[in-house]
Amino acid sequence: MSSEDKKPKERIGVYICHCGSNIAGVVNVADVSKWAGDNLANQGVVVSRDYKFMCSSLGQELIQKDIKEQKLTRVVVAACSPHLHEPTFRTACKGAGMNPYLCELVSIREQDSWVHTDKIAATEKAKAIVAGGVSRVVHHEPLIPLKVPIHPATLIVGGGIAGIQATLEIADAGFPVYLVEREPSIGGHMAQFDKTFPTLDCSACILTPKMVLVGNHPNVTLLTYSEVQKVDGYVGNFTVTIRKGARYVKTADCTGCGICWEKCPKKVIDDKFEAGLGYRKAVYTPFPQAVPKYPVIDDINCTYFQKGTCKACEKFCPTNAIDFTQKDEIMTVEVGNIILATGWDLFDARRVPNYGYGRLANVFTNMEFERLSNSAGPTGGNIVLRDGKTTPKSVGIVHCVGSRDKNYNNYCSAICCMQSLKFAHLVHEKTGATVYNFYIDIRTPAKAYDEFYQRIIEEGTLFVRGKVAEITDAARNPGEEGKLIIQVEDTLVGKQRRIPVDMVILSSGLEPRAGSKEVAKTFGISCSADGWYIERHPKLDPVATMTEGVYIAGCVQGPKDIPASVAQGAAAAARILGKIQQKEIALEPIRATVIEEKCSGCRICNTMCPFSAILFHEDTMVSEVNPALCQGCGTCVAACPAGAITGTGFSNEQILSQIDGLLLLTLDKKKEAAVA
Amino acid sequence: MSEKVTLVDPPSAGPVAHEDLSLLNEVSLCTPGDSHLEMCIQCGTCGGSCPSASAMDHTPRAIFAMLRAGMRDEVMKSNTPWMCVSCYYCTVRCPQDIHITDVMYTLKNMAIKSKMVQDSTASDFSRTFISYVKNYGRSFEIGLAGIQNATHLKLAARLPNMIPMALGMLTKKGMSPLPPKRIKGLDGLKKILDRAQELEAE
Repeated sequence: MSSEDKKPKERIGVYICHCGSNIAGVVNVADVSKWAGDNLANQGVVVSRDYKFMCSSLGQELIQKDIKEQKLTRVVVAACSPHLHEPTFRTACKGAGMNPYLCELVSIREQDSWVHTDKIAATEKAKAIVAGGVSRVVHHEPLIPLKVPIHPATLIVGGGIAGIQATLEIADAGFPVYLVEREPSIGGHMAQFDKTFPTLDCSACILTPKMVLVGNHPNVTLLTYSEVQKVDGYVGNFTVTIRKGARYVKTADCTGCGICWEKCPKKVIDDKFEAGLGYRKAVYTPFPQAVPKYPVIDDINCTYFQKGTCKACEKFCPTNAIDFTQKDEIMTVEVGNIILATGWDLFDARRVPNYGYGRLANVFTNMEFERLSNSAGPTGGNIVLRDGKTTPKSVGIVHCVGSRDKNYNNYCSAICCMQSLKFAHLVHEKTGATVYNFYIDIRTPAKAYDEFYQRIIEEGTLFVRGKVAEITDAARNPGEEGKLIIQVEDTLVGKQRRIPVDMVILSSGLEPRAGSKEVAKTFGISCSADGWYIERHPKLDPVATMTEGVYIAGCVQGPKDIPASVAQGAAAAARILGKIQQKEIALEPIRATVIEEKCSGCRICNTMCPFSAILFHEDTMVSEVNPALCQGCGTCVAACPAGAITGTGFSNEQILSQIDGLLLLTLDKKKEAAVA
Repeated sequence: MSEKVTLVDPPSAGPVAHEDLSLLNEVSLCTPGDSHLEMCIQCGTCGGSCPSASAMDHTPRAIFAMLRAGMRDEVMKSNTPWMCVSCYYCTVRCPQDIHITDVMYTLKNMAIKSKMVQDSTASDFSRTFISYVKNYGRSFEIGLAGIQNATHLKLAARLPNMIPMALGMLTKKGMSPLPPKRIKGLDGLKKILDRAQELEAE
């Protein structure tokens, strides 16, 4: 600590927020304020106040008035987490003519009043936290935010409904979009569905017009059958490497006439679009309304690629558009912002052995049922058993398959209740069968959803409250012969029941895409333990991520239905449009810098940086941090064995003096004890 | 309208006496390890999976709801834990990882201590079994079957049908009708069992 007789060089104002009763209910704020004024004067505190809501405009004006009248050079606000109100107080200080980075926000709410019940101890802790902030703020330097230009183009990864919505919003506003889709066509899962809840409008009828708009839009570069390989750069200036898969079809010449797939002799089970219920050819478009209309040749199944002969498609193509020599193409694009909308995978129902999927023929998954019920599907919309002809007389729909279950996934998949109700309606309408819904809880919490539930009850669907224990074909009595028996506790009756049915539909849950963790790494964002991508704030910033310039939309953030996915797609687009309009972006000046003289060139920091912001200069043998890429996380600062990296706003001096401040109280007490 | 309104006590099973609100915690504490009992979402996977459910007066799920409601006497009198065959289907399938089979053992212990067991068939079976283990250091199946049948299972009425099976057990399976040999170190086993009983009493 500096000697106490030295005159402090800064004039510091300390402001203690009550946050209503959030802080004042536990911490004696008046005591903390008085203590700081009396005991921290030697460090430069010239004014110390407490106020009911520092973040209110009156609270902010209080600070601004003091800055002007008391000629403050530093401000410490003890309130909530900097995550919430740091920008508020920095802006207030800036308004009074102070450099905003000379303001320090310390948390006595999240780190104190919210986590303690002992009022005396919590008050002492608040004093320590304030003392830490005061010691630290003395070492703050005026900083100037870095400004970088924003490239007006946007990369959107994933052409499902969320990605499509985001694409149209941005393209319609007049800015370029690169839409990258792994499959041969955009459309995503929504293109596979039959009807959409709760209004039962045809999924394709509402989706395909949007697909066509994307396909024809002058501002959209559609890259289907493509994947992002690498992302370099930073907000405003990303360089993205994309691998465009070889279609073996010259899109300039192809008219999408369909003669190639008509003539192709090779039938392949379509386990993607038709969920394994139907066939496609080795040259195909996933479905008739595909965008773009051009087919692809699936070289793993194509007879020519496997055996060297056939070329039926090439022979019959009227425009000579088939080109077996095409190779994957690597391209790079420059974009300012990125939206990840890569969607979800279906939980594999085979993982629940007691439900018999894959073993019992007439147990279907929800995606299989969507195709079965779809008039463009393999049965023309006839709901039939696996034999392809028998109409079921009784159908059991099982909720929560792989969801809300610690053996599989803990979370609720959010869409299954409504989807199961929709299935009940479709079965009822198309077959007149007796329909059972087996549920733990019915969750219908959106507009017109519970009304839909009421409608399904009215239609005569039978609801059994109980998680299905097992599905078996082992009959115990003649009534069960040849049926699938659903064994369940009817929890509202309190008895075990065995209900024989002809068909079972499993409402399998939603899972993060296989490989979502690797994709997150490519884009420098984080994944929850479940594998869903983490938003910047679960309530107030659901489409941004902790990485500037990378946004998420749709199920990639967590299970959600079509309306919510569309809302997120549009929200992410709005956020990006706002950024593009600003033309440049101010970056937090909290950055790491390498002190060249101290750097030994060991390169430990190079690989540890989660943002790939550190370059190594081969000529001078030292590392350098790219300030535009650096997010100020501090990993390299801690990792550098030579102490050659320092973080602005987080210098060793700042951190050590904050620790000194935190310990001030303890040290004083020890001194007192020693004197006594 | 000046008619006097009289309040009537609500029907039985509620309100629950305050001390019984902790019944669930008591069962949880008496179960080895973390039973996760308080995590039950009443889905009925246990009752649906249970091979003995039809013989139980309440399904396991209903028992857990009754524990929450503090219905001590009803649970102690229930035959549910005694019908459990320890197949562990419920435990394996439970979406909340509740150690249901373990809880059933806790309930059996508590029921014996409470002296509220309604039908002692199953508890006597356990007692006879453990008395043989104490005396010989191993199980004695013929003796166990004999005593259980003689005391509980209306032996006279069923005897004619059981004779062929009993003979078969002696001849085909080679079971000895004589008590088994005592194991070596029976004293050591006794010490272990006594210590276990001591610990349980604590």
